[in-house]
Amino acid sequence: MSHYVGSPSLQTRTLPHSAQTQHAFAERVLRLGRAMWKHRWLYFMLIPPMIYYLIFRYIPIYNAQIAFKEFFALKGVEGSPWVGFQHFETFFKSFYFNELIINTIVFSVAKLLLGLPIAIILALAIHESRFMFFRSLVQTVTYLPHFLSCVIMLGLLLALLSPSSGMINEVIKALGGQPISFLTSPAWFRQVVILSDIWKETGWSTILYLAALLSVNPDLYEAAEVDGASRWRRIWHISLPSIIPVVVLVTLLRLGNILDGGFSQIWVLYSVPVYSVGDIIDTWVYRSGVLDFQFSLATAVGLFKGVIGLALILFANKIAQRVAQQSLF
Amino acid sequence: MRKPIQIAFLLIALTLIATACAAPTPAPAPTQPPAPAPTKAQVAEPTKAPVAAPTQPPAAKPTEVAKPVDIELWAQATSTQAPAPPDDWVGYKTIREKLNINLKYVIIPTAADGETKINTAAAANALPDFFQAVSTTNARNKLIDLNKQGLIAPVDDLLKLMPNRVKTHYNDPSSLALAKLDGKQMAFVEVPNLPKREGLVIRKDWLDKLGLKMPTTIDELFIVAKAFTEKDPDGNGKNDTYGLGGFFDDSWGQGNRFAFFFGAYGVPDLWDWDNTANFGLSVRNPNFYKALVEFRKWNEAKVIDPDWATIKRDEFRIRWPQGRYGIMWEDFCALACVANYPKFDNNFPTGEWVALPAMKSSASKSYLNDYDGTGSFFAMSKKAADAGKGPAIAKLLEWMASPEGYYLLGFGVEGVNYKLDKSGAVTTDGLADPTKAWSHESMARFTQMRNQLIYDNNPNEVLARYPDFVTDKSKKPMSPMVFYKFFSTQPWQDSVAGNLIINPANRADLQRFYNENFQAFALGAKPLTDATWADFLKALDANLNAAKWETDSRKILQDAGVLKK
Repeated sequence: MSHYVGSPSLQTRTLPHSAQTQHAFAERVLRLGRAMWKHRWLYFMLIPPMIYYLIFRYIPIYNAQIAFKEFFALKGVEGSPWVGFQHFETFFKSFYFNELIINTIVFSVAKLLLGLPIAIILALAIHESRFMFFRSLVQTVTYLPHFLSCVIMLGLLLALLSPSSGMINEVIKALGGQPISFLTSPAWFRQVVILSDIWKETGWSTILYLAALLSVNPDLYEAAEVDGASRWRRIWHISLPSIIPVVVLVTLLRLGNILDGGFSQIWVLYSVPVYSVGDIIDTWVYRSGVLDFQFSLATAVGLFKGVIGLALILFANKIAQRVAQQSLF
Repeated sequence: MRKPIQIAFLLIALTLIATACAAPTPAPAPTQPPAPAPTKAQVAEPTKAPVAAPTQPPAAKPTEVAKPVDIELWAQATSTQAPAPPDDWVGYKTIREKLNINLKYVIIPTAADGETKINTAAAANALPDFFQAVSTTNARNKLIDLNKQGLIAPVDDLLKLMPNRVKTHYNDPSSLALAKLDGKQMAFVEVPNLPKREGLVIRKDWLDKLGLKMPTTIDELFIVAKAFTEKDPDGNGKNDTYGLGGFFDDSWGQGNRFAFFFGAYGVPDLWDWDNTANFGLSVRNPNFYKALVEFRKWNEAKVIDPDWATIKRDEFRIRWPQGRYGIMWEDFCALACVANYPKFDNNFPTGEWVALPAMKSSASKSYLNDYDGTGSFFAMSKKAADAGKGPAIAKLLEWMASPEGYYLLGFGVEGVNYKLDKSGAVTTDGLADPTKAWSHESMARFTQMRNQLIYDNNPNEVLARYPDFVTDKSKKPMSPMVFYKFFSTQPWQDSVAGNLIINPANRADLQRFYNENFQAFALGAKPLTDATWADFLKALDANLNAAKWETDSRKILQDAGVLKK
């Protein structure tokens, strides 16, 4: 190293390069500054969500350290004693650990795999509809369930599925069959949860795909029509490729929440007979962590979920980059 | 063109920021009618004390110079359908004027939601000054958790400041002992809502219609339940009735609503209280197995509403007034009080519920149910104690037990919401506006604390709370207390000491395992044989360490003198 430093010929060669780099960097900063100034109002509008994320998503991460502590409210987050990985161990060694992981992933993956194509199909169908009134009506009707609380959903499901008075069981009985306990039968419970979630959320999920479809240049459709492409061909070659970036984005983001099985829906719908197929990580955390006053345990599980989610996002992003040339970042 | 767009963006952004930063909007104006506006004379004039009412507390004159003490109280509501009292409630005004206390009363939810609220507030070290220690499993365990965290303060010294309330509310040392930790009184134990108030009832009109006799044994009850399910007892030509209705209340095993099955076999509780020599879980007792076989038989015969594992209390209380059930376990007031019975009476004017005694079985002992008999635990936060609010809390509680506080918070304003008859009993007869009667649904928000902190179960009060009445539709005379007296005089197993038992660290998993297997056996999802039952008991110990919990519990009860060493 000293040889190079002492060499005048090398010094004369490197100095201009360093100045060049500095200059290029200054140029880039200036360009960024100009671009930001040009779109200053958009950046200004970005401030409130950034504040929200800072306050509610980033600052609380500091408190996640209680996952490694025995939390005492009076001693606070900093003052509580460290206990290492004790709470993680409690969770990993809990009697139902495997079952909780399996149930959570089953619900999460099933909702993703079944919900995604249905939402895409609905978005395409709405987009292709020629009748504005019908289109608006379908959109409204399919959005509405999203705004229903899970408690209302339970009421509706009871009215439909109750073995004593549910509409579907009345039909089964009228046809000479035996009523089915959809909500208390382990054989049926998962299907009820997944299908009711799809019913509730499909309309809402279509918004993103519809927005992507509306951004497609109409000239492409006209040109394809002039070239004699059928409606199916237009969907296959124009609409679907146009929404692939959104599909990749949504799928990647959902993978980050793979260990969220849908707490509120399952908490309201499940009962003791279906715990074996319905109990998920979040319902266990609520019972063991929140109700039994083990907040460090609850935080440890939350951290575990977050780490798994982050790893999955990074992994899936890499795969998407390689396979579909699409990625989040 | 650019300028207006920029201005529009700016306005939108400012609006968003302003909305995000704005202070929470006040709650919308309540839709309930406003509090009966008492005249100054009504507020200032203390009501006359009846013979049975508590005596006047030491004078609590408002000081002109002292700063009012702010006290935040969290407690459950007496009427969950009614909102909290409004800000201009006469109760707040009187407490401010008489006690120099600014009371803020916050209603907390029932069951797990209430416990979650307390726990999350505790975790944030944001417990209110004085609060109801809500627990879905065991209130003493909640106190232990909070005490371990150092979030609550002893109240021994406060008891000395409220001599009258100690006489009316804290007069049972065994009850108070349940809230003692390390020799210190860590909470007040309020008067339990009338004890042993639930029981088994049957539709007598259905019995008569089908020509069946009143059952006395669990076998006879099954025959009746089967007939109620299959023989169209309401005569509407539809197959829409069930012998028995109920729901699971998230406790252990069969839950409270079906405990009478197990009571018939002498084991209504989670713990086997009659087996003092080898105290442990009731599932170890062979009679529990027999009771479970019986319960399973009922489920397999489809004489129980099959929704029992799914529905909650509210849905259950929608269903029985619709005439779906012939037998059920219900609270005497939820069944027969003036606020509740008319729903059934309107649908079935000729319908008639009668109380059933504890069912008998092959077991030597039978109970209606078990009784764990504690009132609500109310604790003072450490923060409040450190802020020197203890004496003010004691003053408030003492005032609540005085005639003025007792009547105002328990029944409303005299002359407007209630009257006192010659014997000193509360009555609503002769009120100018009957819709302002304290017992009217629309007035419930003004007496929301009554069950939690006010009532002490004195005879006049009980008569006022559960009056006889004549139904509007069928003109039938109803007496809720007839049901209560019947239920409370049945054999109940004493399980009060169960409050001393501490939950194991794996409580959630153990309870899930226990309940899941219990219901799988009961609903027929798992074969119930001697071998499968033995496997279940073995797994309870091997997988969930139940035996250790039993050993620990035995020791606690032995140390407390409940069991012999």
